[in-house]
Amino acid sequence: MAGQGVGRREVLRILGTAAAAAQFPGFSKWSFACGHVGNAKLQIKPSSYQPQFFTPTEYATVERLTEIIIPSDATPGAKEAGVGEFIDFMVAHDPDPQYPFRTGLTWLNAHSERSLGKKFIELTPEQQTSLLEPLGFKDKERPGERDGRSFFRLMREFTVTGFYTSEIGYKELDNPSLKFYSESPECPHKGNPEHLHLPQASS
Amino acid sequence: MAKQIYDVIVIGTGAGGGMTIKTLCEAGLKVCALNAGRRLDPEKDFRYHRMPWDMKFHGMDDPKRRGESFGYMDNEYTKAAWDHEIPFTTAPGTKWMWPRCNAVGGKTNFWGRSSARFSEIDFKAASRDGYDVDWPVTYDEISPYYTRVEKMIGVASTVQNRPSNPDGSYLPPFKYRCLDFILEAGCNKVGVPYLPDRCAQLTQPHEGHPACHFCGECTTGCDVGAFFSTPYFLLPKAEATKNLELRTDALAKNVLVDENGQATGVAYIDRKTKQEAEVYGRAVVVAASCVESARIMLNSKSRHWPNGIANSSGQLGRNLCDHLYGESARGYLPQLLGQPSFPDHVADSTIAWMPRWQNLKDPREEKFIRGYSVYPDGGCTEFPGFATELDGFGSSFKREVKRRYPAPVSFGIQAPSLRSDANYLDLDPEVKDPYGIPVARLHFEWDENVLKMWEHSKQVCADVLRASGGELESLGGEPEIPGFSLHETGTCRMGNDPKNFVTNRFGQTHDVPNLYVCDASVFLNCTDKTTTISILTFSLRTSEHLIENFRRGEHRVV
Repeated sequence: MAGQGVGRREVLRILGTAAAAAQFPGFSKWSFACGHVGNAKLQIKPSSYQPQFFTPTEYATVERLTEIIIPSDATPGAKEAGVGEFIDFMVAHDPDPQYPFRTGLTWLNAHSERSLGKKFIELTPEQQTSLLEPLGFKDKERPGERDGRSFFRLMREFTVTGFYTSEIGYKELDNPSLKFYSESPECPHKGNPEHLHLPQASS
Repeated sequence: MAKQIYDVIVIGTGAGGGMTIKTLCEAGLKVCALNAGRRLDPEKDFRYHRMPWDMKFHGMDDPKRRGESFGYMDNEYTKAAWDHEIPFTTAPGTKWMWPRCNAVGGKTNFWGRSSARFSEIDFKAASRDGYDVDWPVTYDEISPYYTRVEKMIGVASTVQNRPSNPDGSYLPPFKYRCLDFILEAGCNKVGVPYLPDRCAQLTQPHEGHPACHFCGECTTGCDVGAFFSTPYFLLPKAEATKNLELRTDALAKNVLVDENGQATGVAYIDRKTKQEAEVYGRAVVVAASCVESARIMLNSKSRHWPNGIANSSGQLGRNLCDHLYGESARGYLPQLLGQPSFPDHVADSTIAWMPRWQNLKDPREEKFIRGYSVYPDGGCTEFPGFATELDGFGSSFKREVKRRYPAPVSFGIQAPSLRSDANYLDLDPEVKDPYGIPVARLHFEWDENVLKMWEHSKQVCADVLRASGGELESLGGEPEIPGFSLHETGTCRMGNDPKNFVTNRFGQTHDVPNLYVCDASVFLNCTDKTTTISILTFSLRTSEHLIENFRRGEHRVV
């Protein structure tokens, strides 16, 4: 098979490094993993993104919603990960969710004006959260808000998809995918097959 | 200039074609192999460790392409390796998905690597339960070929002493993850087996191939060749003999015959020039995969073979079987909530399995005949799919995603359909591919027996999950549509009676002695095991039978 190019050699070199480093006493057997080739820096977003599908006001609302769903707290959230841009890009390329997004955003603003006299984006963060809670939490559901709940589900689905496929999302989960290991990783809890009462992670 | 005549023309370079090409070339036969697609370049055509954020659509693919990307392996990372040009049709009422990799190496570039041997219970299933007919082979005669194939490709597993799963020669198994120990304990309580799968992924260097680096993205192509595929394992050996000429972008159209109806070569389309060409040989091996092989043979019509070459039985294209796939149950293991992330996904879903346990002692102890197997999966996968369905939002939601990340588990069934007159392919009388060749039309429905297995598996998997201390979140639903598993079998079944079978017990067609079939189409059904290692095994045996026929002068080697 072809594929003896520079990139392949680079991977082989890193594989060699991974195998050697994993035997270094400072590393536990499976915890050593190499960074991804050619991906040293985090995503940096231009500050003035031009949305492809959403209007500027819609886009600001979408971005705000992603930020509320996965906020920046002890770790970075959806806004830092550029999830708003991901959603705009995906929706611009997919006719199916365009109508639900557009009507959902319209519903949200109408609902916001009816309840609090302002568009959603103009509310205080506390007001925004209290408006969304009945839509996003099953035990706070209210009658007559079915359309709002399905829009929020759509929003949450796209936010989760964008966030956990970003580099920031990988770091958030300490996602072990696509790393290199020198041997088949093994369960570290010998003698406790049913894994009862494991110590909880400190973080 | 005299026209060149090769010893053998082989159509296809996947598991069957690759093994055939290598075996024939090493025996000194001159081979011309036709492959419908191009050679792949791992750096461009495989995932090559690209991360989701390296991709325009974060690996989720262009929504516009969703209609044409079939299956989990044909995705944003590898889409250029899959064929989207040759259509197929389905009869009214039939649903069928058919991902085809026509590149050199075929689906072995991306396969799932589960590699259990068929057993005597599989070969003699009809004698045991009275349905259909036995295979024309015994396990004892096939076993040595399995052993040789395992040595060639490297399979990681353990000796398990199970009647339906004969043991072979294995590399060290994958080590169990947390979820394996937990589910194994649950299976023990329920009384079903939980064992290392037979996984053709190199847990140590093997026969000049490097060990796996456990990155876990095998089904998007391995850039170091640490699992079996013909471009890494077989074709280089064939090319080293100088006996192979491989023609790429050569789409086989039909088998050519002489005035006696014997094979003389293959007509093909050069997809680059769009011109038709011919290549001649003393024997022809069709190894284009089950459905495509039958399509080529059905399209090989002549005065001798008005219904397709080697089809005097009328069985060509019939007896199509497939594995029903589906998620029998899904949930999570509370024991693992909040644990540090762990590389659970280093072999896709093929580290452990629950090999067939039904109908082993008594062939009719269940409400269905035969049996199925289950592949458990879970833990920290590349994308936390469960998170799209979690309740709430905000910091509590974000924490809950992280807490749940190591805990999901699911169970995927692999259940064989039974041979049925309702399941077959023929040529669409109207639709042709862009080169004017009639396309395959699929007729397929799940039978009652396989749907009983599906229902049975939901209950057992739910029991296992509960016995493991897990929380059940979803129970079955609809299975995947036919074709999803890529395990279709049975369009050129082997058998001793020329009236009822297309090929004899060696994969040689009854009607045309110099025409052989080397893929899953010769299998009588699909059993509860995957097909690739058995395609390799039966193709090795067929190739050696072909070589023996050459030695005896039957195909007139010059």
